[in-house]
Amino acid sequence: MTSEPAIQLSGVGKRYWQVNERAMLLKSLMPFRRVDRRELWAVRDVDLRIDPGETVGILGRNGAGKTTLLRMLAGVSQPSTGQIRIQGRVAPLIGVGVGFHQEMSGRENVYVNGMLLGLTRAEVDARFDAILDFAELEGFIDTPVKFYSSGMFMRLGFAVAVHVRPSVLLVDEVLAVGDIAFQLKCFERMRALKSEGATVLIVSHSMHAIRLLCPRVLLFRHGALELDSEAEAVIARHHELLSIEGHEAGSGGGVTVLERALLDPSGQQVHHGEQRTPLDYRLRLRFERPVDSPQLLFYVVAQDGTLAYEMKTEIGRSHRRFGPGDEIDASIKFEPRLGGGTYRLLVSIADLHGRDFLLRESEGTLLYLAPPLGTAGVADLGASIELDGTEMTDHASLLLDARAPDEA
Amino acid sequence: MTEGSTANPGLLVLEPRPASRRVWAADVWAHREVFAMLAQKDFQTRYKRASLGVLWAVAVPVLQGVVLAVVFSKIVRFGGAEGFGAYVFGGVLAFSYFSGTMAAGVTSIVDGAGLTDKVWFPRVLLVLVPGVANLVGLCVSMVVLIVALPFLGVTIGPRIMLLVPATALLVGFTIALSMVVSALHVYFRDVKFLVQAALLMWLYVTPILYPKELLGGLAPWIDLNPLTGIVTLIHMATLGGDEAWVRPVVVSIVATVALALAGVEGQRRHDRLFVDYL
Repeated sequence: MTSEPAIQLSGVGKRYWQVNERAMLLKSLMPFRRVDRRELWAVRDVDLRIDPGETVGILGRNGAGKTTLLRMLAGVSQPSTGQIRIQGRVAPLIGVGVGFHQEMSGRENVYVNGMLLGLTRAEVDARFDAILDFAELEGFIDTPVKFYSSGMFMRLGFAVAVHVRPSVLLVDEVLAVGDIAFQLKCFERMRALKSEGATVLIVSHSMHAIRLLCPRVLLFRHGALELDSEAEAVIARHHELLSIEGHEAGSGGGVTVLERALLDPSGQQVHHGEQRTPLDYRLRLRFERPVDSPQLLFYVVAQDGTLAYEMKTEIGRSHRRFGPGDEIDASIKFEPRLGGGTYRLLVSIADLHGRDFLLRESEGTLLYLAPPLGTAGVADLGASIELDGTEMTDHASLLLDARAPDEA
Repeated sequence: MTEGSTANPGLLVLEPRPASRRVWAADVWAHREVFAMLAQKDFQTRYKRASLGVLWAVAVPVLQGVVLAVVFSKIVRFGGAEGFGAYVFGGVLAFSYFSGTMAAGVTSIVDGAGLTDKVWFPRVLLVLVPGVANLVGLCVSMVVLIVALPFLGVTIGPRIMLLVPATALLVGFTIALSMVVSALHVYFRDVKFLVQAALLMWLYVTPILYPKELLGGLAPWIDLNPLTGIVTLIHMATLGGDEAWVRPVVVSIVATVALALAGVEGQRRHDRLFVDYL
């Protein structure tokens, strides 16, 4: 390992001009025209050093500057300030199958894609069998790619990219597609590239992928590097920011949420939970208008909007009358028994009869749960599978913990 | 994607200024294989689903040439002596390359957005692609022209070799202009329509469908059109004799060199900025 970093950014920023009217040829030729534009820093003042062989995750909300950063690292766009130094060949996996043409066969597209990623024709020749083998496309390689399923398309694109033997592999969101078996294969391949000394940068909204692959994670916020640390800490901060910023939109109606906190058994505030470990969701609410014996409803909603769980206080049960300004503490204790993913904890407040809503949250608090290994779906049933009496679902052997030292 | 010192050839340095001329030129040269592949792909995919395939690359301009040659030498007659069919045919073949390449060239960078916002290669390659892919059709059409000459009442002489510099100048001018307008089109999306409109008029301000003498006093003005010199060379190759060839040919060469310099410089300076506007 050399002391030369694989990627070095010093004071890097990227400015875009937000033009309020479309650039017009005639207008731009006119003298003394009023320039009606606003500058927009998609990335600002980023200092970063990544060493060869590191696998680094990148997190951030949409518009935090992740894609702009990857574009600059791919060499496609130049920074507006600062300097970027990249050592070696970059394989941008920003979109899978770059340059694929629908009418051309898989074989022809492998050449186009491979050469765009920096291989010579001879190098593609030499790697062709390995690419074909990885993509699992025998029998379809001479079919135009327009007849491919999205999975086949993706597999072929990924197969080419990982066989470029890049020094730096940039991965953007591709892990979200493909079946579990292929995902595992991709993880395996990335680990192999990493052990060969390649540097891997992964942008993903899948906390699962980030946790499994990246010992180091960068969190971007409004174009700036907010946090550069180990995965758990960054994922926690990311969810914290998502929760906070989600509320900036504000809730209306007769109840204001003054405080909210999700506590683990030791009383620590958390944004991620463990399966079957009790959590306590505490809220402090203030009533803005009078209400008699309100009802509290608690929902857990999965990322795709599926209602995973609902629980409410008994309707019509009289407990107290509240006036404007009165405050109340709510404590919701529960144990997650859900599949892996990010969930929203939402609360609604209704009047005694459950008809008039004083609060109806849509953002709530986020809770991240790591999936039990080898599982997917919204529930955790704790299943195990035995074949001829042997337990086959002990996934400890599959654990791709990137923090473990690389085996030779 | 190489840059910087010889001590560290694999190092890419990105800064808020364009690559130096030397580095840029080296980068373009390093991507010659990618360019060949892109040109081949462009050529193949265009005719992929047509049953006559690549034959169309020749059939379309030739058919265009034949139709216009017949119309303007037999039906609409601007005078024009023996061999006027050959006169029209040669000019139309050249113009058909020019207009076909310009139409694809002006939008080449914008249309290439699917590629260019993901992987790096000098964008100028995209601009060169239509010019080179259409060259196949142009060369075959030129051969068809030579074969057709005896049937059009023209005897072939050694002067036919002038078709080589004529073709070179045509390709050079077309590509140089493409480099300029494709860069402009990224920033001003009106350019595509301006080019379309210009192409429509350009055919009529070039002595292709009528003899130049027909213009009388306006003839010197038509010499300022860079295509006039190119078409004049073709006419000299096929029909011979045009005492006033120097002026239009010099205009063509000067225009080509000036546009090429402006085009290359524009492409270099904006190479890593285009993507921000796509």
